[in-house]
Amino acid sequence: MNSVLGQSLIVLALVAAAFGATAGWVTGNRPSPRALLMLRGATYVFGSALIFANVIMVLALVGHDFSVKYVSQVGSRSTPLYITIVSLWSALEGSILFWGLILGVFAIIFARSLKDKFATHAPYALATVLSVGLFFAFLLAGPSDPFAAVSPVPPDGPGPNPLLQNHLLMIVHPPMLYFGYVGMILPFAVAVAALMRGELSDGWLKVLRRTTLIAWGFLTVGIIMGAWWAYEVLGWGGYWAWDPVENASFLPWLAATAYLHSTIVHERRRMLKAWTLSLVIGAFLLTILGTFMTRSGVFNSVHSFTQSMIGPLFLVFLTVLIIFSIMLLVGRAHLLVAENRIEAIISRETAFLLNNVVLTIFTFTVLLGTVFPLLAEAVRGVKLSVGEPYFNRMAVPLGMLLVVLMGVGPLLPWGKPNLRIVWRAFVAPLALGVLVTIGLAAAGMRDWRPLVTFGACGFAAGTSLREMLLPFVLRWGEDVGALLAVASAQRRRLGAHLVHLGIVVVVAGVCGSSFKHTADLSLAPNETATLAGYSIRLQGVSERNEAHRQVVVATLVIDRDGKHVADATPSLNYYRTQREPVGSPSVQTSGLNDLYFSLMSFEPDGSRVAIKAFVVPLVSWLWWSLPVFVLGTLVALWPRRRIAGVRLGAARTEGVVLS
Amino acid sequence: MNWRNAFFASLLVVPLIWLLAQGFGRDPRAVPSVLENRPAPSFKLVDVKGTPLSLDELRGRPIVMNFWSTWCEPCKEEHALLQQAAKFYEGRVQFLGVVYQDSDEAVRSYLGRHSSTYPQLLDPEARVAIDYGVSGVPESFFIDPQGTLRVKHVGVLSFDVLRTHLDAMLKSGSKS
Repeated sequence: MNSVLGQSLIVLALVAAAFGATAGWVTGNRPSPRALLMLRGATYVFGSALIFANVIMVLALVGHDFSVKYVSQVGSRSTPLYITIVSLWSALEGSILFWGLILGVFAIIFARSLKDKFATHAPYALATVLSVGLFFAFLLAGPSDPFAAVSPVPPDGPGPNPLLQNHLLMIVHPPMLYFGYVGMILPFAVAVAALMRGELSDGWLKVLRRTTLIAWGFLTVGIIMGAWWAYEVLGWGGYWAWDPVENASFLPWLAATAYLHSTIVHERRRMLKAWTLSLVIGAFLLTILGTFMTRSGVFNSVHSFTQSMIGPLFLVFLTVLIIFSIMLLVGRAHLLVAENRIEAIISRETAFLLNNVVLTIFTFTVLLGTVFPLLAEAVRGVKLSVGEPYFNRMAVPLGMLLVVLMGVGPLLPWGKPNLRIVWRAFVAPLALGVLVTIGLAAAGMRDWRPLVTFGACGFAAGTSLREMLLPFVLRWGEDVGALLAVASAQRRRLGAHLVHLGIVVVVAGVCGSSFKHTADLSLAPNETATLAGYSIRLQGVSERNEAHRQVVVATLVIDRDGKHVADATPSLNYYRTQREPVGSPSVQTSGLNDLYFSLMSFEPDGSRVAIKAFVVPLVSWLWWSLPVFVLGTLVALWPRRRIAGVRLGAARTEGVVLS
Repeated sequence: MNWRNAFFASLLVVPLIWLLAQGFGRDPRAVPSVLENRPAPSFKLVDVKGTPLSLDELRGRPIVMNFWSTWCEPCKEEHALLQQAAKFYEGRVQFLGVVYQDSDEAVRSYLGRHSSTYPQLLDPEARVAIDYGVSGVPESFFIDPQGTLRVKHVGVLSFDVLRTHLDAMLKSGSKS
């Protein structure tokens, strides 16, 4: 029953996408209200069908309907309910179905929000969304059909991958990333529509920026949450390993970040247009490349799914998209000619251009490192992996350059600045940077690398604080309403600099956590070891049985200077269906340091355990950056009317339209 | 973007796509065992009943050597399949179990409950496991009648995998 229902809904989505996409491409050049109505209808049908297909799958999972293929792969009667629901995206077919859910939701919202105001661009934009949707619906209908019927019906299933059952973050992290990935379809569609129509109006550019910002926000949150999950679950005391799939999410993020900066120059100075459009299209193509990396089984990674038909299909899809994008950009090259030139080397424009270049180099560096193992195997037949040293050696200088640019760029004026005045803006931020460096040196830090990094962070933070506060300082003393009006008018800038502060916090966290202390401890009960000033005593080993696993826990008592700091309980979990046990590290934040313990092994009689212990400085700053990023993105996205409405509510009721 | 840029873009994209296509059909996780197609490391071990057994005595028939332990849940699932397979190939293929990092009592008590139709060898200091490069259990090795190690299989066996490897060895064995 669930099988038939689900498959019918997928076919319905497929038909709606095919119909809508065809209608959109055919009528794109001569939009008519009737055609648009039809197109919008097709989009609603497509989106709703995918949403309902997901509902059916969740019902099948919760109802343990093992006649549905996907349920028989990831379902299990002994799995807790919330993990059963989450297993919707824990394996290949389900994750593509879930992808369809998000695409469906985005498509409906997008079609609704493209009111008649954008009637000229809407057909091409919706046609693009539905064309991408067509590909995913096709995958779901045939090559990776999650609803296929299983016969004979098995009595029980193996349950989802144990790594996914270990932490609450696993519930939030993949959806966030998927929202980011799928969200990039919208800016791509907007860019395609603009290029197809040959019109880059200001209003449409705004749609482009806002849709990208939404996807970018989700991607940022998803990436950081992924790092957090890896840190809390995988037990090696780190959070980022330049794994192909981590890189796959980082690549579009870099491109989208470059776009968000480039578009400022595009909108303001009518320059860097080819950059802007290429970056936003590139960001989308990189999400498809990323999906390919995750789903093709070509790369070795904690995330990868097994090899299947999906891989070649994705590669063909990617190739078609790349050819289409290049043709489109070439065919519309005349629209992308700069209307202004850079007038001075030291100017805001140059800083933005440099930012584009650095972020693009960053993207290619990561891409090269990711595909290099494939190259080595194809050319020389050797298996190798490109490890952290390559990436870190490349990423650290590029990252530092970006931090410095974050400090310098916003202080430079547009056009041809008067250098005699420009330097004044630098005084306060530079002072903050120097102060941070001196303060840390006085506190005993001797290594030049963190001193330089934290100094640069201080400088960039100084710039952002200055840029955020300046508009308020200039109007200080006026009433609250006036200040709110300033906030409303400056929300894009406020949001941007909040995000910059978030980046500063992340960079500080990355720098701090790279100076972690590590020790391999072998402890008998009541034996004590020390690491970085902490004393670690094994209290005992215990064992408990849960429905789907058996858990062995070591209890550690942590003291510092004779004072009790924390109890840590790292464990090893034995799942019925796994060859190796899966560890649950214990992570505790105490002030600036994280205490991190992994249980590696134990004697069956509890007489001795092996523990990997880490003291990681500042790592929690990475997670604290999350609210900053979310707030910054929301502020930048906030529609003008609502904030202004606080003060001008009366005016609005009288019919004044503020936009 | 003009045609020149498009050309440069293609210079970048075409090799990338070619490279990605190269990855199909390869398993990125498969680490080839250096032992494959070399003489299998010889050993002399004692089975749970106390009978000594060496690899050299077993020449002339294909051998399936399965490393397992009682603390490994998948091994227990594999146990039934191996017993059936041993019965199916009786007289044609020699099955061997090697206990990996386990206590003798646990093994004896397990085998008391789940009998074994083929010899179960004890490897007290894991010498043989080290010789064979065992990284975890279950792992199985297929040794041909001439004593050459043909295939290393990591993880739980399926009957199809067993049959594919064994039939290949039996066929080439009957030819020579």
